[in-house]
Amino acid sequence: MEPKKMCLGLFTGSVDKLTAAGVILSGAAALDMKVDIYVLLQGARAFKKEVGDNADALAMAENPDLKDEFMESLRNLNVKTWVEFFREAKEITDVKVHICGLAGKIWGGENLDDFIDLADDICGIGAYLSSSEEADINLFI
Amino acid sequence: MTQEELNKITVAKTVDARGTACPGPLLEAKKAIGTIKSGDVMEVLSADEGTKADIPKWCTKQGHEFLGTIEESGFFRIFLKKS
Repeated sequence: MEPKKMCLGLFTGSVDKLTAAGVILSGAAALDMKVDIYVLLQGARAFKKEVGDNADALAMAENPDLKDEFMESLRNLNVKTWVEFFREAKEITDVKVHICGLAGKIWGGENLDDFIDLADDICGIGAYLSSSEEADINLFI
Repeated sequence: MTQEELNKITVAKTVDARGTACPGPLLEAKKAIGTIKSGDVMEVLSADEGTKADIPKWCTKQGHEFLGTIEESGFFRIFLKKS
């Protein structure tokens, strides 16, 4: 059976939404889905080597004043970091992370080497839309 | 299966995922299923309410047979047979 495909437009660079994306990715991995992630504007900053899992460098999309409590709760519940979620999903299923070329440049990332090792390539918007057209599930976070 | 039958079943592997919240138990189950043989029974221990519904759905999608759940105090024992 052909695996189901998920296409995720990942605009966010906020730790709460990235964590949610990680949880969804885990579910997709459990179901052996093929996942294409297109990292857009704010998202590309989170994938920069100097940001990644450094929660101090990431904002909260909602309730920014509750960030410390949020992060502490995640730790107490033994929840993985967003980078760990992404990494584990990549180990289990076919997950490709494509960084939007424009987004990368906005944050000073010209080359794949400027991003954490989860990133697979630098791409254009055409790749996102054609993957989106073929996907069984489309999400935009 | 009845609770009595589940209690007596021979389990090839027990996955203790009580230390993790959703999606931990589902992912632990996914990783462990590759280590057992077709027809073997696996038991997943989870303290996460969501797992009780997630595992049966996951079994349907993956072709494994969901056998049932035993509710213990503070956690669930979820049984499935690998396809």
